[in-house]
Amino acid sequence: MLERTGVATSENLKEVTPGKERLSKGPVAIIECFQNIPCNPCYTSCKRGAIKELIDINDRPMVNFDVCNGCGVCISNCPGLAIFVVDESYSEKEALIKMPYEFLPLPKEGSYVTGLNREGKPVCRARVEKVLNTKVHDRTPVVSLVVPKELSMTVRFFSLDDYYSDNTIICRCEEVTLGEIREYIRQGYQTLEEIKRISRCGMGPCQGRTCGQLIMQELASATGKRVSEIKTFESRPPTVPVKLGQFVGGEDNE
Amino acid sequence: MNKTANVVIIGGGISGCAIGYELAKRGVKDIVIIEKDYICSGATGRCGAGIRAQWGTEMNCKLAKHSIEFFETANEELQYEYDVEFKQGGYLIVASTEKEVNQFKKNIALQNSLGIPSRLLTPKEAKEIVPHMDETKIIAATFNPKDGHLNPFHATQAYANAAMRLGVEIMKYTTVTGIKVENGKVAGVQTDKGYISTPVVVNAAGGYSQDVAKMVDIDLPLYSERHQILVTEPVAPMQGPMFMSFSLNIYCQQTPHGSFIMGRGDANEPRDLRVTSSWHFMEEMAKTCTELLPPLKELRVVRQWAGLYNISPDRQPIYGPVKEVGGFYLACGYSGHGFMFGPVTGVVIAESILGETPTIRIDMLDKDRFERGELLLEPSVV
Repeated sequence: MLERTGVATSENLKEVTPGKERLSKGPVAIIECFQNIPCNPCYTSCKRGAIKELIDINDRPMVNFDVCNGCGVCISNCPGLAIFVVDESYSEKEALIKMPYEFLPLPKEGSYVTGLNREGKPVCRARVEKVLNTKVHDRTPVVSLVVPKELSMTVRFFSLDDYYSDNTIICRCEEVTLGEIREYIRQGYQTLEEIKRISRCGMGPCQGRTCGQLIMQELASATGKRVSEIKTFESRPPTVPVKLGQFVGGEDNE
Repeated sequence: MNKTANVVIIGGGISGCAIGYELAKRGVKDIVIIEKDYICSGATGRCGAGIRAQWGTEMNCKLAKHSIEFFETANEELQYEYDVEFKQGGYLIVASTEKEVNQFKKNIALQNSLGIPSRLLTPKEAKEIVPHMDETKIIAATFNPKDGHLNPFHATQAYANAAMRLGVEIMKYTTVTGIKVENGKVAGVQTDKGYISTPVVVNAAGGYSQDVAKMVDIDLPLYSERHQILVTEPVAPMQGPMFMSFSLNIYCQQTPHGSFIMGRGDANEPRDLRVTSSWHFMEEMAKTCTELLPPLKELRVVRQWAGLYNISPDRQPIYGPVKEVGGFYLACGYSGHGFMFGPVTGVVIAESILGETPTIRIDMLDKDRFERGELLLEPSVV
């Protein structure tokens, strides 16, 4: 799979991820390097000896998670941009992810961007905590993103566009913005069905195909639940818009 | 989580929220509204959103007229930050039989005597108001320009918000499991989230009213019946009034949003609490609608749903206290027009609980009228 899609599978990740307990303790390097290639700057850059010696230069790096303190020096030393530092002790509900970013312009500290998963799909709003770009980083700046804790092992890149800003139209059928949805949630609307009735989200021709998932994400982040715990819309027939005339037997091509 | 209240209202539809608001406005403290799902999840949020004063009994005309006058200033009165979307495009009620025309003439005389400006129209005059109708299918029509459309979600939320500002507590996602009666009087309400002791309980449970009444051993002569509705994609404004016919079995209105909402009754509906959707309804509705309003055949249906009519033997609500249990009040049995009666329900039930002089006398709408045989049969319902 990895060879074809370029996206690490959960089995791949299991090999390189520390246990939950270690993650919760504080920052730790996660090296998502899955190919035997002749490369060792990560090993040479780690002054703590947390990356085990590569006996053969084609070996994959292995991190001793108990020795690693998540300093992040290795991040900009990896030519494959495969190293991330994850800190789940950042706050009660948030995690900090440090990642390499070799594009211009660089994000501004304090701004909001969109966290992307390994496939490049948007998964959350993320705050840019810090941008490190000194001589030491050698033109591989390190960006620290604050993301919801449950996405600490999901977000691996970001888009400068703040898709999850209040101005984003979340329901294209009824032109409802994310800001309006957030306001309803603040006012105490607890479920997708309640939000549908008051905002019209999900009442349009698409019947909530687009907005449903997005509102569920908002409800999840507002209530601290998982998206899978949020109830979906009740589905109502017909599932696609059908002309009234067709129910009474219209003519061809009607 | 046990507590004490002065009044517990069962049901978070427009009736319950309006009663809560009107009581709080009159200075009553510690009011709790209990709703098993969320505000508007029952009949209110599933209704056809029509508002009319064109009724066939004096009582219904008076109740409706009072409500319409309230809706005209609801945004201000309830200080609602959004809009209840009251559109007074009128109701055009068409007749297809001579018998119906005679009934309509009587209705209009009654309505006019009560200050409702309805009038009888010829098919040609009716077509001027709804140009896309097939006027050959009708022989006359009545029209009241004050009738119209109102958004059930916003109207109810407006009441709920106003009530909460006045200190009313609304318990969503809470189910009433029993009502305690001591010495012939209401003592408290048991819910799945704790016990609330209270001397007054209002049954505004819509389709579930008869089940709530059974908790105090009262058999209400009511049954619930599914009624279905469909809504189309939104289009540019083309139909001002609600188009309605009792004999042809249709009501159809374009909302301010642009979509058409339409529904019809079905005499063969089972009398239970199901709110599922049927294919049969879609076919019958499409047939009726495209015959009477042919251009609408081009509109796409985006959704259908169903809700419960809580039907009384004379198609008029049951209001007020009961003789069997002290402190137990009824606001139910609306027979499909509970939403449009919301404001007047709030007022008359609050007055009844507080013993105030009634704005509209409702003592003849008590539940015992059926035993006495004093029914006030409403002829004009879909």
